[in-house]
Formats: sequence, C-alpha cells, structure tokens
Amino acid sequence: MNSDNDLELNAFADGELSEEQQAELLEAMRNDPDLARRACELGQLKASLRLAYADPPRPSRPRVATRRNRWQAVAAGFMLLALGLASGWVLHANAPGLGLDTSRFVVFDPDGQGQLPAVAGGNETRIVFHLTNPDQTVAGELLDDVEAMLTAYQADGRPLRVEVVSHSEGLDLLRERLSRHKDRIHSLAGQFSNLTFVACQNTINRLKVERGIEVRLVPDAEIIDSGVSHVVKRQKQGWSYIRV
Amino acid sequence: MSDKKQLLFGKFGRQRKLRAQICAEGDRLYRIAWSWCHDSHQADDLVQETLARALTKIDSLREEGRLQVWLTQILANLFRDHIRRIQPETGLEADILATSGGPEDAAERSQLIVQTRQAIESLKEDQRQVLTLVDIAEFSYADTASILGVPVGTVMSRLSRARQRMRTILEQQGVGRAAVIPLRKPR
Repeated sequence: MNSDNDLELNAFADGELSEEQQAELLEAMRNDPDLARRACELGQLKASLRLAYADPPRPSRPRVATRRNRWQAVAAGFMLLALGLASGWVLHANAPGLGLDTSRFVVFDPDGQGQLPAVAGGNETRIVFHLTNPDQTVAGELLDDVEAMLTAYQADGRPLRVEVVSHSEGLDLLRERLSRHKDRIHSLAGQFSNLTFVACQNTINRLKVERGIEVRLVPDAEIIDSGVSHVVKRQKQGWSYIRV
Repeated sequence: MSDKKQLLFGKFGRQRKLRAQICAEGDRLYRIAWSWCHDSHQADDLVQETLARALTKIDSLREEGRLQVWLTQILANLFRDHIRRIQPETGLEADILATSGGPEDAAERSQLIVQTRQAIESLKEDQRQVLTLVDIAEFSYADTASILGVPVGTVMSRLSRARQRMRTILEQQGVGRAAVIPLRKPR
C-alpha cells in the first residue's frame, strides 16, 4: 500500500483535507474502485469505534452518589471553598458594609489552626476534619484537639458532632498495622458517641491496585465510598470543614 | 466597588462558569479514559483526578474555547504518569464485554462492540491513544498532537498504522469488510 496515499486517505476520512484536496481525491476515486473501497472502509472503521465506545461500562462498586452527582458535588465543594475564601477576604476588608451572615459560609482552615467552627443549624455544632496528612504526630495533635473539644462541649451540655475523615495518605491513622493511635482511637470512640472515624474506600482500593496492599482498618473505623465526596456532602449539609 | 474587588468578583464569575463547563465534561472524559485503559475503576479515578486538577488550576487555562483540549491534556498526562506503573487488573475481559445499554440493544451490537474493543486493546498504547482521540473524541489532528505533545506528522503516521492494524485484526476475527457495520433496519 502506498504510504503517502494512505495518509491522505486517512486525512480524507477524518475531514482534515482542504476542499481542493478533497475534490482531487474524489476524482481519483472515480477512476480507482480500490481507492474508493479503502476510503469507505476507513469510514466504517470510524463508525464502529464510535459505536463500541458510545456507552462504556461504569464502575460496579456501590456509590454514595451517581457519577454525575458526584462530579457536580466535587465542583460544588470547590465553589464553597472559593466562596469561603472570598467571603473571608471580603469580611476582613469590609464586613459591616456587606452585611453578610458569616455562619452561612464554610470555614476553610488549611492549617487546622483556630477558627471558630460554623454553627450548622439548630444549636448543634458539626465539624468534619479531613485528614490527608501522613504525619501521625499531626494526627495525634488532631486527636488532642478533638478530645479537648468534645470534652468542653460535653461539660457545657452543648451538642456537637465530629467526624474525622481519613483519606489518601491520612488513611494510615486508621490502618491496623500502621496506626500509632489505635488505643486512643478506640477509647475516644467508646467515650464519645458523637465522634466518628471514617475511612475512604477509594484510597483502600488504590492501595490494593497500585501497591498490592490489603488494608485492614482499626475496628472503630467506618468505611465510606469516597473521602472527597463525603466531605463535600458534609459541607453541603452545613458542616464546618477543617482540613488537616 | 473598588477596582480590586471588581477584579476579584469578575474573576470568580468567570471561574463559576468555567467550573460548570468543566463538570459537564465528565462523561466525555470518562469515555476517553475508558477507551485507554478498559478499566472502569481506573477510568473513574482518572476522570475524578482530572476534574479536581482542572478545578484547582483553572487560572492556567488561557483560551476558554480550548477547554476540551486542555482537560484532555490533563487526562493524558495523568494517564502517562500513573497508569503505566499499574499492573493490569484481572477481570479486564469482563469489563470489555460489559455495556450499560438495554439487553436487546446489547445483544444486537455486542459482538461487534466486543471485537472492536479487543482489537483496540491489542494496539500499542501510542496508537490506541491517537486512534481514540481522533475517532471517539473527534479531535482534529492538530488538537490530538497538542494533547499528546507530539508533532502532527506523528499523529498521522500513528493513526495510519493503528487503522491498518485494526483492519488486519478485525479481518482475522472474521469481521468481513462488508459487515463491519451491520445496518439496522428502519423501524
């Protein structure tokens, strides 16, 4: 098969030729049935590819939300973050003039250091800590903060719910073999019914596929499908979000 | 409103619109990702990561008209970085065989679909990417070249070799020339 000719035929099938070039090739096809047949085959091949991939299978694992919802949820999460940041800036610059209700905005605190948690509705304070940091010293400090907070709220009789979502490298905190805080997690979970430790199934799957690791979790961990989707869902429900 | 605030709000307005556009590209990206790896979980992860990166790097998109090319570039980079390190999972066959359409449609089309997917899978990875970007995602040669970071001439030669190979494989599988596309009867 003539190679130049083949490239040109492909370009013809893909609509990449100029009108002039197309006219020339069509003229040539009239006198060359073999050329015409090859062009036709290329068109058929393109169509069969589109058909074969028009409706690819979706992941079979159970989902918290449908794919479309989840992608939208991810976007919504970023939007909330942007809003939170923007509102922080605006409030800082000119709070009285705008009259914004700060409790409607998500608290975004990348360092996990001291901002007042937003009150989400009713009197209950709800906070989701999103742990992605592999450093278990940091995780230990998080547990200190969580415990102090739970204790203080309990002492005052104020309602509080706390979730610690461990995701990506933060999952180590909840891994039976790697966690340096197993006993502490167990005792905290036993002591406070309003505290939940949550592990991300996507991270577990990824460890299995990429590194062949069968993750075993500490007994107090609950599993959710996707850490990202979960924290986005919590933010939509009005929970304060603090990333650690 | 001060100039600084005007700028900030203008920027967020543009970003909000772009975010919505980015999220609407999920299904399209999934189709491309799946045609590259034939693994729904990997494809799903790739798309999630692509969207997440796009949303955080929105400022680096210079021309909004090239959103699809930009997103597919991110996907191609992620695919190159991550997927090649991963051992193929078992159960690939089951994924290739699967369709999510209705049972009647699936039965009618399944043989051709499975044979085409198997032929695609036997291509070299660079050929498979070019072929799927041009035929399934319907990118131009120039856009395909820019997504993969190769010259247009390379796109053309890979495409030509990929299609020759597809034809050979499909003929071996007994998909006759005349029967590549079974025409559906008008209803």
